[in-house]
Amino acid sequence: MIQITDLEKFYKTEEVQTIALNKLSFNVKEGEFVAIMGPSGCGKSTLLNILGLLDDPDGGSFKFNGTEVAGYNERKRSELRKHNIGFVFQSFNLIDELTVFENVELPLIYTGVKPAERKKQVEAVLEKMQIMHRRNHFPQQLSGGQQQRVAVARAVVNNPKLILADEPTGNLDSTNGNEVMDLLIDLNEAGTTIIMVTHSEHDAKYSHRIIRMLDGQKVTENILA
Amino acid sequence: MLKNYFKIAFRNLIKNKVYSIINISGLAVGMAATIMIGLWVTDELNFNNHFKNKATIAQVFQSQTMNKETGTGPAIPRPLEFVLQQEYADNFKHIIMSSWLQPRYLKFGDTNIYREGNAMQEGATAMLDLDIIAGEKNGLKQKNAIMLSESAARSLFGNLPALGNVIKINNEDDLVVTAIYKDIPANNSFSDMKYIIPWKHYITTQDWIEFSKDAWDNNSFQLFVQLHDNTTMESVTAKIKDIKKDTAPDTAEFNPQLFLLPMKDWYLRSDFENGVQAGGRIENVWLFGIIGIFILLLACINFINLSTARSEKRATEVGIRKSIGSKRSQLIFQFLSESFLIVVLSFIVALGLVLLFLNGFNILASKAIVFPWFNSQFWAISLFFVIVTAFLAGSYPAIYLSSFNPVTVLKGTFKSGRYASLPRKILVVTQFTVSVALIIGTLVVMNQIQFSKDRPVGYNKKGLIQIPVMSNEFLGKRDVIRNQLIDSGGAIEMAGTSGPMTDVWSNRSGYTWDGKSAGFQEDLAYTTVSYEFVETLGLKVTAGRGFSRAFATDSTAVILNETAVKYMNIKNPIGKYIRDSDTENQDPPLKIVGVVEDMVIQSPYSPVKQAMYAFDRNDNTAFYNVRLNPEHSTSENLTRIEGVFKKNFPDTPFDYQFIDEEYGAKFKSEERIASLSRVFTVLAIFISCLGLFGLASFVAEQRTKEIGVRKVLGASISQLWLLLSKDFITLVVIALLIASPIAYVVMGQWLQKFSYRTTVSWDVFAIACLGALIITLITVSFQAIKAATSNPVDSLRTE
Repeated sequence: MIQITDLEKFYKTEEVQTIALNKLSFNVKEGEFVAIMGPSGCGKSTLLNILGLLDDPDGGSFKFNGTEVAGYNERKRSELRKHNIGFVFQSFNLIDELTVFENVELPLIYTGVKPAERKKQVEAVLEKMQIMHRRNHFPQQLSGGQQQRVAVARAVVNNPKLILADEPTGNLDSTNGNEVMDLLIDLNEAGTTIIMVTHSEHDAKYSHRIIRMLDGQKVTENILA
Repeated sequence: MLKNYFKIAFRNLIKNKVYSIINISGLAVGMAATIMIGLWVTDELNFNNHFKNKATIAQVFQSQTMNKETGTGPAIPRPLEFVLQQEYADNFKHIIMSSWLQPRYLKFGDTNIYREGNAMQEGATAMLDLDIIAGEKNGLKQKNAIMLSESAARSLFGNLPALGNVIKINNEDDLVVTAIYKDIPANNSFSDMKYIIPWKHYITTQDWIEFSKDAWDNNSFQLFVQLHDNTTMESVTAKIKDIKKDTAPDTAEFNPQLFLLPMKDWYLRSDFENGVQAGGRIENVWLFGIIGIFILLLACINFINLSTARSEKRATEVGIRKSIGSKRSQLIFQFLSESFLIVVLSFIVALGLVLLFLNGFNILASKAIVFPWFNSQFWAISLFFVIVTAFLAGSYPAIYLSSFNPVTVLKGTFKSGRYASLPRKILVVTQFTVSVALIIGTLVVMNQIQFSKDRPVGYNKKGLIQIPVMSNEFLGKRDVIRNQLIDSGGAIEMAGTSGPMTDVWSNRSGYTWDGKSAGFQEDLAYTTVSYEFVETLGLKVTAGRGFSRAFATDSTAVILNETAVKYMNIKNPIGKYIRDSDTENQDPPLKIVGVVEDMVIQSPYSPVKQAMYAFDRNDNTAFYNVRLNPEHSTSENLTRIEGVFKKNFPDTPFDYQFIDEEYGAKFKSEERIASLSRVFTVLAIFISCLGLFGLASFVAEQRTKEIGVRKVLGASISQLWLLLSKDFITLVVIALLIASPIAYVVMGQWLQKFSYRTTVSWDVFAIACLGALIITLITVSFQAIKAATSNPVDSLRTE
């Protein structure tokens, strides 16, 4: 599903050039659950941003479902993103002014789903995430675990092929964290490809494969399942 | 989608109450001011729209040149009518001679009313398309007829039928009411015309009118025309412009030029400079139109500044929406719909403000504007106005906010860069530039009015009243009345004059005197006066003496003002003679017996005109000027004076005006401009400060942590206050530096239109600058001190 070859990304300031990704290459097959680990500043988040089409690589190739997307413009990237990719962030990133229902509904609005159909889909996913009873609450009225479940619900409501999770349990206690991981496992078992950046060895063990990075390069790759 | 946008917008409004209130109140005040100005401008532009034939009606104007100076006015000689009728009739639907608007007493039974009206020729009813509600369509056919306006008829007859009744005019003539017409509404020419008497009657009322039939040099009448549809103002002007010069060659030395002034220009473009049309009220229409746009702009700037300042708060939302799949255009649309919502809410508040203050505004602007509830055009323009404002206020924030990179904002590393606040600073400078320029402008206008009011008028206008001479009954009674008034104790002196002391009714030329240079065409303000003229007015005699009963020869004497002596270049004028060159052989020469200090009679902004005060040997009196007795109260004096008049003229109502009030009326139009610009300046300052307040609170909030750290490290409250206020003060100082020279040049130009004018002095700038700085400090300090005095532990905990 994903093939990256010699991917490069630099950050420049007036005096120094930092290499965030240094000729990084790996593939992810459809249905896989990959964890990416490494110390702070190793390039994990940069990689995730490029995979999520939020950012452009400076060199190398990025094929999504066999199509080269490295040179895509903003409009094409946005188009590809909203139909195929869901995000889960460490800080949840829910919109404070929208209710649980409305937050989850948002991606469907952007893909142009009809209101009646939207309602059905949002309710189904809220049910699945066991957050239906909170549908009319605002994010700040929820616990961290509940907020992350809403964020996951929002990420999957479109049935994306790929979920990119950036330390999804980073702001949660272990009980809530495990619940979120269970959700991701369920999604993966239902066929969704998941790439997860994490600091937690415990979380990484849920995945099929762990890619460890240092200074923008892949150091090791452990296959778990 | 739209629902989602509005939902977010609405919740944002509720959540950020302070910002919402600042935004909506600023925009609402700005929009209310703009709507008000818009209504005023429309009212001005709609002047004379009542007349169906507006496009084809014109008045004949005349320019004449004396000593290279061209004067232009609507006064024309009577014989012009006959030439137009005989030789140019095919151009006109109507050629209507008219008198000037003039007040007269109308009496029926015991009811006596004082109303203004005109004498006009028969076609007037059709030309003006008067709405006849009773009587004959052509009520001016009979010679002894009068047409009354509905309001005048009601005052005179109450609910009784008016038609066919005979009313007495000025206690002299009996006229039959032949028609009642609907009053011409305010905001139109002729709206004060409450009756019309037939021209053919008018010309028989006084000998001089009859004699003026062939006098091309007697410019004492008005002539209105309505053109045929197949011709234009320009082509008719081309045909008639030289009629006077050609028909009466002896007037050619003044190069009289006739032209048509279209009805649409009567009100807005009636100023002439050296014979060329030079604007008029239209300049104020433009001025206030521009001020209106500026005020709206100021309010939009608040919106722009507050939205972009708060961008960091909205940045996360932008990042999330983008990562979920929103296109940039969708975000732009979202932010625009937010500003649209705010503008619509502001518009509703603005409408409320307009309704609330329209009355006060009408008083201020001397208008009778009615809110156009049922005018679809108004609502269409309002919708357009709302959309334009929403775009004006919302475009930049929408483009700016939607440009954020989702990666940076979601990482939480987003901080607006060093230059992100630059556009905001420029906009604040713009706001204060406009506000300060308005302050300076208003101060200069007020200074100019005060300066002209303080101008010495050359006579004592306090305690002086004028009593209009209403009818021929008064003739020959001048001295009798004077003696009785003094005996009554209500007055200490009285003088009759042929015109009011606050205007020049007559100008004369055609004199000769020793030392007059060849080809000099003099133009003298001419007033005939009675014996105690100098004493009554309190004029200062600088040479010679005033008229005196002790000298029988004073019946042919004149007094000049100082300007006239200089103008005519007469050395040692006392005892010299002036001759009327037309009647040199019949009339005795006029002996100069005195010179008086200039008295300001016409515009307080213009130089005093050269004036000749001739002794009135024919009792040609239009006003009795009465000096009240300073030993009694004004009301006591007036009671005694009224007693004298009631005794002598029992049928004529007693009427008088205070000269100082009549003089004060000359400042009305400038004072109106001053009070309007004062109001709009205050609004501009209010809106700008509102924005500043919002920005200051934003900055204080943004720097909470910094303030906490500094405080922990030992910064004092005053240091922190300075830290937070300094940036804003700098911006205002820059605005002062930009606004001052602009205002200096513009107001200097405005002052050019007054000959008697103040200068744009440094203290105006000092007051404006100091005022702006103080207002800024107060606005900003509130937030700065609040932040500086807060507990550092609280501010550090906010991270």
